[in-house]
Amino acid sequence: MAGEEDKNKVMPPIAAGGPRKLDRRDVLKGLSTVPALGLFGYAWQQQRQYDQATLQATAAPAAAGDVQELNIALIGAGAQGQVLTDAMLRIPGLRFRAVCDVWTEYNLRRVVNILRRFKHEPNAYEDYREMLDKEKELDAVVIATPDFWHAPHTVECLKAGKHVYCEKEMSNTLEGARSMVAAARETGKLLQIGHQRRSNPRYLHCYEKLLNEAKLLGRIVTINGQWNRAVAADLGAPDRYAIPEERLKQYGFKNMHQFRNWRWYKGLGGGPIVDLGSHQIDIYTWFLGTNPSAVMASGGLLYYDPATHEWYDTVMVVYDYQTPQGPVKAYYQTQTTNGSQGYFENFMGDQGTLLISESELNYAGKIYRDPNAPAWDEWIQKGYISAPKLQELQSQEEKSGAIADVRESVSPDEHTVPVVLRDPYHQPHLQNFFDAVRGKAKLNCPPEVGYESAVSVLKVNEAIDAKSILAFKPEDFHI
Amino acid sequence: MATIFEVHTAHPDAQYAAQAAQAVFDLVDRLERELSRFLTNSDVARINGLAAGASTRVTPTTLECLVIARHLYDLTGGAFDVSIGTGLPLLELDPDGLVVRAREGGVRIDLGGIGKGYAVDLAAELLEEWDLGASLVHGGFSSVLVLEPPPALEGWALTLSDPAAPARLLARLSARQAALSASGLRKGDHIRDPRTGEAVRGRRAAWTLVPRPETAKADRAPREGPRMAAAAVADALTTAFMLLGLEEIESICAASPGLEAWVLPEAGADGSADLMHFAAPVEP
Repeated sequence: MAGEEDKNKVMPPIAAGGPRKLDRRDVLKGLSTVPALGLFGYAWQQQRQYDQATLQATAAPAAAGDVQELNIALIGAGAQGQVLTDAMLRIPGLRFRAVCDVWTEYNLRRVVNILRRFKHEPNAYEDYREMLDKEKELDAVVIATPDFWHAPHTVECLKAGKHVYCEKEMSNTLEGARSMVAAARETGKLLQIGHQRRSNPRYLHCYEKLLNEAKLLGRIVTINGQWNRAVAADLGAPDRYAIPEERLKQYGFKNMHQFRNWRWYKGLGGGPIVDLGSHQIDIYTWFLGTNPSAVMASGGLLYYDPATHEWYDTVMVVYDYQTPQGPVKAYYQTQTTNGSQGYFENFMGDQGTLLISESELNYAGKIYRDPNAPAWDEWIQKGYISAPKLQELQSQEEKSGAIADVRESVSPDEHTVPVVLRDPYHQPHLQNFFDAVRGKAKLNCPPEVGYESAVSVLKVNEAIDAKSILAFKPEDFHI
Repeated sequence: MATIFEVHTAHPDAQYAAQAAQAVFDLVDRLERELSRFLTNSDVARINGLAAGASTRVTPTTLECLVIARHLYDLTGGAFDVSIGTGLPLLELDPDGLVVRAREGGVRIDLGGIGKGYAVDLAAELLEEWDLGASLVHGGFSSVLVLEPPPALEGWALTLSDPAAPARLLARLSARQAALSASGLRKGDHIRDPRTGEAVRGRRAAWTLVPRPETAKADRAPREGPRMAAAAVADALTTAFMLLGLEEIESICAASPGLEAWVLPEAGADGSADLMHFAAPVEP
């Protein structure tokens, strides 16, 4: 554990006069000063601004005085609704007016009680239409219901004049997703789709600074990524809190097991490729700046009981992209029987590799320089990336005049992406939404972007069934 | 929490029991995200980064865990200290606003000495929600909580053994509705006294048994407080009992009916050490 403690070291404030100009040898030799260097300059500033902003935003409730208070409601108080609630409770200027969930006996009661502890006084609803009828003061609604409910919930909320934050996947069908885009356009209300990495400060830093400005990877030619999960029991529910069958049917579920495990059922969810893959495939497209041109995929139900698991528990996908720099092949896998290596995205260019994940613990942002790539000193000095973690002293050749110092193999330079998230994972994306509602920001994931992502991801299940390469036309992504 | 959590339970439907256990493990994962000091966006990491006068919002569970930790700090005169001498009283806890404010900078907390027990307490409440009243749940074998025993048994069979010689059985217990926590030193381990910074001597292991309060039968919403934090309390007291004087342990036990403690001193010159037991005198 001792090694992990280093991660938590607080970097000293920037020295008076700003960072000194360094040459490459200084960087290589200055081992004792290396840990502090990476955060000088830009990234340190960005981190500080971000920390200060969130500190102010999440500090004592008194600090909330000067933000416009928004009346909000939550539809869907399950596991994801509770994650979003925890994050929203840390955002000032939000007033929970209503919570809606069909599991009134359990989730609804729990979330309402948590909110009451926070001195919110939300009304509890089973039926979202009744909620929209009665709660006229709502500014925005956050939707975290099963995928097949996203379109009806979102469209009705937008038509009732509310801004909407809707979890991904935007919808389990493209028709549903299209109706959401149309409703947002008709009503002029904001719709943010919950691809929360698009507001994550580390992903934004990688996209804006490392890829677009510094172009550290050179030309990206391949990508791989995955989300692997260990075997888990199906979700259940305490017997005494079971939902009466009649109510389950009313809301589109055959029984309690299907209600709890809707992600595995056709017509309700999209299986692991949609639940997990959607987040990361969205990043492939975002970072490449273009939508895929084709997809091939193999998948199947290899392990779980087909009676209760209609979607594929194992999926392997290859996307083709045609970028202005040239073609790209992007691999993605998700399987649910072994959690080896967890989740990450790995972008491989001819000059470097970026290994990143949303997790703050594993793959929290490493970038490796190809030995043939131009030096990255400039970007180290700017603080875009940390100084390299040195494998061994590399100046032997220069001292001795030899061509090569023969020794054990040298690994490529490993640099850290020096931007970390201090808040719950979904908080920046929610904050971006509420800032946009207040007219102070632009949505990071408007419905058109969510739709493009849904087109790419929903096609995977189609490609598995077709057992052939499916092409995308550019117009597939536009409405 | 880098350890093993286990659920033992009795129910006619094995799948129902497995689903309940899965719900427990999901709960533990969530607590880990809030309480781990190694995760930069956990509540604890944010608290550890607070400058003087700064504050941060935390989840209800984090705040509750801190409140329990603070009570135990006071009860043990600082022998149980999640801030390890960096100034726990400098953190102001506001349970209504769920805000933690640092009066001074530099306070660093590590909930390792209470987090497992706290997670086990919440797990037990979850199992009760699932009507799995005959259950045992533990975190890393050191924080054990037993509910009702399996049918036809009077209690869950538990043992205490010597950490330096695990084959040496020191005591057998039969327990129900209680938390039993252990703290011990294997060869080469050491514990530092947060009050003095000195390494602790003279103690090889300690155990604490804390009875679980009667289940509140009132119309309690799913998993809302107040927690019956027997295992969190047992965890904290066990850590404290590794360093407190025997008289102090005796007086804490005497003042707390139902609380029991066992202490294994460092071996004497002849290599032997006898288990000492502390409990409140039984009322006539």
